[in-house]
Amino acid sequence: MALLEEPIKGIKEVKNYINGEWVDTKGKIMDVVNPATGKVIGKCPISTKEEIHAAVEAAQAAFPDWRRTTPLARSRILFRFKGLLEENFEELSRIQTMEHGKTIDESRGETRRGIENVEVSCGIPTLMQGYYSEDIATGIDEWVIPSPLGVFGIIGPFNFPFMIPLWSAPYAVATGNCVVIKPSSEVPLSQWRLAELAEEAGFPPGVWNVVNGGRTVVDGMLEHKDIVGITFVGSTPTGRDVIYRKCGETGKRVIAQCGAKNFMVIMPDCNVKATIPALMTSFFGNAGQRCLAGANLLVVGEDNKFYNGFMEEVAAMSSRIKMGYGLDEAIQMGPVRDKEKRDKIMGYIEIGIKEGAKLRLDGRKPKVDGGCPETCFVGPTVFENVTPEMRIGSEEIFGPVMSVFRAKTLEEAVEICNASPFGNGHAIFTQNGRSAREFQYSVTSGNVGINIGIVAPVAIFPFSGMKDSFFGILHTQGREAVRFFTESKVIIQRWF
Amino acid sequence: MEINTCSGAISLSRELENESAKFYEELSKRYEQDKDLFLTFARENGKYVTQIERAYYGVITDALEGCFAFDLNPEDYKIKTPPIKDAGYSDFLKEALAMEEKILKFYQVAAEQSKHLMADVPRSFTLVAKKRIERIPKLKALLEKGK
Repeated sequence: MALLEEPIKGIKEVKNYINGEWVDTKGKIMDVVNPATGKVIGKCPISTKEEIHAAVEAAQAAFPDWRRTTPLARSRILFRFKGLLEENFEELSRIQTMEHGKTIDESRGETRRGIENVEVSCGIPTLMQGYYSEDIATGIDEWVIPSPLGVFGIIGPFNFPFMIPLWSAPYAVATGNCVVIKPSSEVPLSQWRLAELAEEAGFPPGVWNVVNGGRTVVDGMLEHKDIVGITFVGSTPTGRDVIYRKCGETGKRVIAQCGAKNFMVIMPDCNVKATIPALMTSFFGNAGQRCLAGANLLVVGEDNKFYNGFMEEVAAMSSRIKMGYGLDEAIQMGPVRDKEKRDKIMGYIEIGIKEGAKLRLDGRKPKVDGGCPETCFVGPTVFENVTPEMRIGSEEIFGPVMSVFRAKTLEEAVEICNASPFGNGHAIFTQNGRSAREFQYSVTSGNVGINIGIVAPVAIFPFSGMKDSFFGILHTQGREAVRFFTESKVIIQRWF
Repeated sequence: MEINTCSGAISLSRELENESAKFYEELSKRYEQDKDLFLTFARENGKYVTQIERAYYGVITDALEGCFAFDLNPEDYKIKTPPIKDAGYSDFLKEALAMEEKILKFYQVAAEQSKHLMADVPRSFTLVAKKRIERIPKLKALLEKGK
């Protein structure tokens, strides 16, 4: 099929958005490369400590007025913002494909999920209402008011450049806080465009800020006394050892959503025809670069005939996946974000071979359509005979690699799942309600799928996570996000 | 090349609707007596495109199988533009019937392939198929009338 038109022509020079103005950095500039074509499509500022401090100070200065803006007035701006996102839906989606490499269907899915969070936050006049008790003692009334706290830092990852900051930012500003967003420096274009639309929607200067860069910006947020909380999505070592720890030391609120190694449990009674495409999406969608991706396929039962037939279909469909530039609507899988990530995944494939797993499908020499350079592509890879001790079965690879395990019973399968240090998005495929119920009850996973391969909650539900996949208490999205971004002020009243 | 993605299926649907709308607009110019019916068909095609795109853009998320829900061969649904020269009314009507059956088949197959995987999208295909099926007796009646 023909390529869809690229929305970014030439090289986009991204700037920081601070206090309602687009400002250049005094720091270095980094190239933004389209991983499918290898072309430079943007320049990303690597901002200095002074620049992140300037953004926090602008946000802090904007906070008193923004807080006094009524929830209904804030909601009207969010409605305008939502409308602008819908109007620019296709452009926003194509930018994601250009900077990240995902397919256009995946980008549109990301755009939709991002907008849903803005949509939910439009309901803030009712979502942040408090509650009231008359006569807690005779003549004394008591009520609670959810109040905004100040300035929040939002640290985004590379794998969902548009959507993930929207798990937090709309709720933060809807509840009367101000935000400073730091996108991944590999993929800054989506947040640049989003900030342009936020500006057009009418957020006052200082309410919505974007500061691009790397560790200096993160440290600047963590150290700044006026940042009252951080939301972070990224790796477990950074989330646990840097973000969570530092927020604890400095008394900041924190949501740290981290790594994963999700199991897709296959019962012999599953609907095979519908399950196979769901597994393709789970393991190979977004080129395996998502914290909800399937990583381990766990086939239950001792029926070798079922196992062999099932794996035959998995391998056949995996081997037919079309790879290339995601702006071609025929493409089913794009590249990984960059060569370093590709090399890391290739390294894991070598490790799997050395560990003695059976390489059923080898993605090391991918067939790429449309003349794209192979630099960032890894083909779908399937390993069988994987055991929990193997590194390919226990460590997060973050690429299109499926490690296949077997278990005799559902109980054994749940034990294997629960032995993993991660607990993000395990799923079961079955037609049996009892098996499904037992799995969802027993498995230690923040999000649980029943015949769903990517257990991504919609915006009215929290994006959960357990064990090493999540650090914090409340989660992003929906009512939990509203609680995270507000603190309870309790009033007790008596009139003499 | 076969179509496996939802965006590919939506584009094919849009192409079929646009092509068949052009065909009916052409017929409306040539055959004044049935102009209203042909223009109604052409207008409906536009509504179907909107309906299907609305379903797709409203529901597409990473929890669905957007890249793996279809296995369609576009050659199976290619609409042949009828020869303009030397064709009579009944030839055009026969072409219209063949075209409608082909498009109907597309929607039925696409809905069936994606029914567990794409939520509102197969539902919109089914709804459009149900509406389009009503065209067949109308076209057959015109053909009978002309005999």
